[in-house]
Amino acid sequence: MIETKRLTKHYGNLTALVDLDLVIEAGDIFGFIGPNGAGKTTTMRILVTLLEPSSGQAFIDGLDITKKGKEVRRMVGYMPDFMGIYDDLKVFEYLEFFAAAFSIEHKKRKSIVEGVLELTDLQSKGSFTVDSLSRGMQQRLGLARVLIHDPKVLVLDEPASGLDPRARIEIRELLRELKRMGKTIMISSHILSELEEICDHIGIIEQGRLVFSGTMEEIRQRMGVQSKVRVQVANNQQRAIELLSALPEVQDVQSTGRYIAVTLDKDQNTDGIIARVLVNGDIDIVSLEPQQVKLDEAFLQLTKGIVH
Amino acid sequence: MNIGLSKSVRYILKPSWLTGPIFDKELRVSSRRRRNYVLRSAYLAILTVFVVLVWHTMVRFQGAAAYRISQMSVAGLAIITTIIMFQFVATQLIAVVMLSTSISDEIYNRTLGVLMTTPINSFQIVMGKLFSKLLQIILLLAISLPLLATVRVFGGVPWNYVISSVCITLTAVIFAGVLSLYFSISARRAYVVILKTLFTLGIIYLFIPIMVVLVSQSFVPTIRQPLMLFSIVMLPNPFVVMQFNTAAMMSPGAVGIMPIPLSWPIHCVVMLGASVFLLAWSMRIVRRVALRQATGQLDLATKNRKKKKLSLKTTKSEGQSGLIRRVKGSPVVWKELRAPIIQGSRKKNIIGLAITIIALLITYAVNMKEKLLDEDFTHIAYTLVFVIIGLITNIVLSATTITTEKETRSWPILLATSMSDWQILIGKAVGVFRRCLPIWLLLAGHLILFITVRYIHPIAVVHLAILVTWIVVFLSGSGLYFSARLKRTTSAVVANFALALTLWAVIPLLLGLVATITYESDILEAYILTNPVVQTVVIMDGAGGSHNATRNLSRLNYEWPSPSGSNWNSIRSTTSILFITMLIYMSMGLLFAWRAKCRFRRNIF
Ligand SMILES: Nc1ncnc2c1ncn2[C@@H]1O[C@H](COP(=O)(O)OP(=O)(O)OP(=O)(O)O)[C@@H](O)[C@H]1O
Ligand SMILES: [Mg+2]
Repeated sequence: MIETKRLTKHYGNLTALVDLDLVIEAGDIFGFIGPNGAGKTTTMRILVTLLEPSSGQAFIDGLDITKKGKEVRRMVGYMPDFMGIYDDLKVFEYLEFFAAAFSIEHKKRKSIVEGVLELTDLQSKGSFTVDSLSRGMQQRLGLARVLIHDPKVLVLDEPASGLDPRARIEIRELLRELKRMGKTIMISSHILSELEEICDHIGIIEQGRLVFSGTMEEIRQRMGVQSKVRVQVANNQQRAIELLSALPEVQDVQSTGRYIAVTLDKDQNTDGIIARVLVNGDIDIVSLEPQQVKLDEAFLQLTKGIVH
Repeated sequence: MNIGLSKSVRYILKPSWLTGPIFDKELRVSSRRRRNYVLRSAYLAILTVFVVLVWHTMVRFQGAAAYRISQMSVAGLAIITTIIMFQFVATQLIAVVMLSTSISDEIYNRTLGVLMTTPINSFQIVMGKLFSKLLQIILLLAISLPLLATVRVFGGVPWNYVISSVCITLTAVIFAGVLSLYFSISARRAYVVILKTLFTLGIIYLFIPIMVVLVSQSFVPTIRQPLMLFSIVMLPNPFVVMQFNTAAMMSPGAVGIMPIPLSWPIHCVVMLGASVFLLAWSMRIVRRVALRQATGQLDLATKNRKKKKLSLKTTKSEGQSGLIRRVKGSPVVWKELRAPIIQGSRKKNIIGLAITIIALLITYAVNMKEKLLDEDFTHIAYTLVFVIIGLITNIVLSATTITTEKETRSWPILLATSMSDWQILIGKAVGVFRRCLPIWLLLAGHLILFITVRYIHPIAVVHLAILVTWIVVFLSGSGLYFSARLKRTTSAVVANFALALTLWAVIPLLLGLVATITYESDILEAYILTNPVVQTVVIMDGAGGSHNATRNLSRLNYEWPSPSGSNWNSIRSTTSILFITMLIYMSMGLLFAWRAKCRFRRNIF
């Protein structure tokens, strides 16, 4: 549905995007992740035709975004990172304004606006001025606006920023609902764990380069380079450490008080080896817990050293 | 001890004890802004052109030394008065525009509330804002000083005059700036502030004096000394004092007739006093607005203050007020019209219009009593006021259309809709036109009223329609262009004003200067034909007044400033002149609009 080919963008001397190749399948929720200044917003602006790429191409539903700007805009809903607010409009008027801007007939507008208000749970706010809404409601209004012309593709720039946990969950629900409606969604965030539950695919961008792209499963595997096991033994901790250190699969062994933290090489279900070695060495195991590396930590590891 | 002394000297020299960190911040920011350099260079360029041009024409003179010297002092006088008048008007306008966002920026970027949580007090906020911007303007004045000093070498102009004019200019600038700052506390849109300030100044400097004089003469004939009253009303009027000061310099004998002398020191003190009063008032309000903003109650406070007073029970739905209006027709036009010119409801606007009409009717009554309504010059004056107000409104409104969208960050979303650039452009243009419409309707009403009572010839409607058409198209085009091209409302408004002033004031002034020196005025007269003010005057001079109103078309006489040898007094040549001007300016306006459209999608962020 969305495809970019060697997309590059320069701002003067600064290169914000370098040869970005993205492919997003129809009906997917694609999580676009990267630290501050990585180029997420830049990519999205290019995709929604607000910014010209310096070189490279991008296609949405097969349409070249630099050539078929108007068609692309009709198909895409874009929610910017900073919501533009028409401060002297009411919620209903705000939405109807954009409905009119997408040349939806006057007769149909009312029901469409009411529909999106209901979808975003803002029915009761129709006659409030836009700037009297709370941050979270404004964010939802932004989503409502994006949906007004029933676009096939949604490009959402950090829709969950500044929201409380509950509102985040609500937005997540809303996105699932939209996915069920068959929309393709591209969503950006700094935080991997925030997207892990809803995204089918993830792209990680770093200083304008795509450093990873794949499914959630792939990312878990790739990031599970190391798995950790926490062992508690009843006796002879010192000997246990020696035994474990001798294993070829083990990268690192550390004693942390009552526990021994074992870092294993590849995640090939090596827990069994640890247990066997310890039992063979006559050591009583009190507990043995495999510890999954947290996604966010892994993300940090993956992008470590590139950003300071 | 030595250190202590130098410290205290620095303390006094550096005004930060007065203004604090705000001042520093503003200065730092403004030195980073390209527009300030642009402004300064443009200003310097215009001034230099003045001098170079005059100098160039002067050295062409051959002849007796004595003649040349006398010629030089004439030129010197002409240049200095022109420069002084130019900077007098220009710096006031710049002050109004520069300070129009001073407080509102902080309020609506939600930084004022933050500022209030620091130990900075409202005195420092207001002063810091004011002085940092004033400094920019003083820099502009300073640019012209060496020029003035150089030209003074030609002779003919006393230092005294230069100094007094600079003082008058400075106090006028301060007053205009403070007024703009005051309005920027309560209105968030720059154009609202600019318009409010300009109209308030217009009322103080123009409307009130005229009304006072007229009313006192016709209804209170017992006032023995009209001059006395005149000088009291005129004392806080920098334009009059400036004129008077210049006249006094040229012929010192004229000063004696005023009972209260319009002396510039008194005037300056009055202006400063008024500014200080207004500043103190602003400080009080700033604090209130800031606290309200800090607690997040800004909107209901400005919108529902009255309602709340009436009934405290209606706290249930705070943001909720008024009806929802459905979008009809082009959404862009609808949106433009939805934003009221002056903040507030439609009802308020209607009341405003009603008050304007009533005031207009009162002036009619006064003029009728004075038996002036059937004179041509009365209608010249009325029409001129309408046209100039229309010009200003159009300049400001068109230049703010797109930049306000950029400032509220709604421009990208609008561009991301499926509307074509032409649709947006036309929508914006129609919006501007519709919002200026009330003024042109007032003009039309005036014309129709006095055509029916046979004080104005009907042909004036056609001629003025041509004039207004090109004014609207041209200024809307250029305003849209600057608005699409530039990032900030302030810069766009300044640019559009600068364009209009250059075309219709600076270039004529320059050509006039040349003409006074060379005694050749053909170019000036040919150029000035296309000036909207000149056209208004000629149209109404030819068609206004009862002696013209009933004439045959062929017997109407229009006095165009025609280049030597030509005679363009007939109705036919008048219509052709107007038509040709319209073609020229309309094509320029459309060109601007087209360029604006091309710039829409560049530098959005
Ligand atoms: N208008 C601009 N002019 C110059 N440089 C820009 C502009 N917009 C973005 N950049 C630069 O491009 C780079 C990428 O910015 P971008 O906004 O795309 O990052 P981002 O991934 O969205 O970051 P964030 O998570 O903070 O929103 C940054 O280094 C930024 O400084
Ligand atoms: Mg971003």
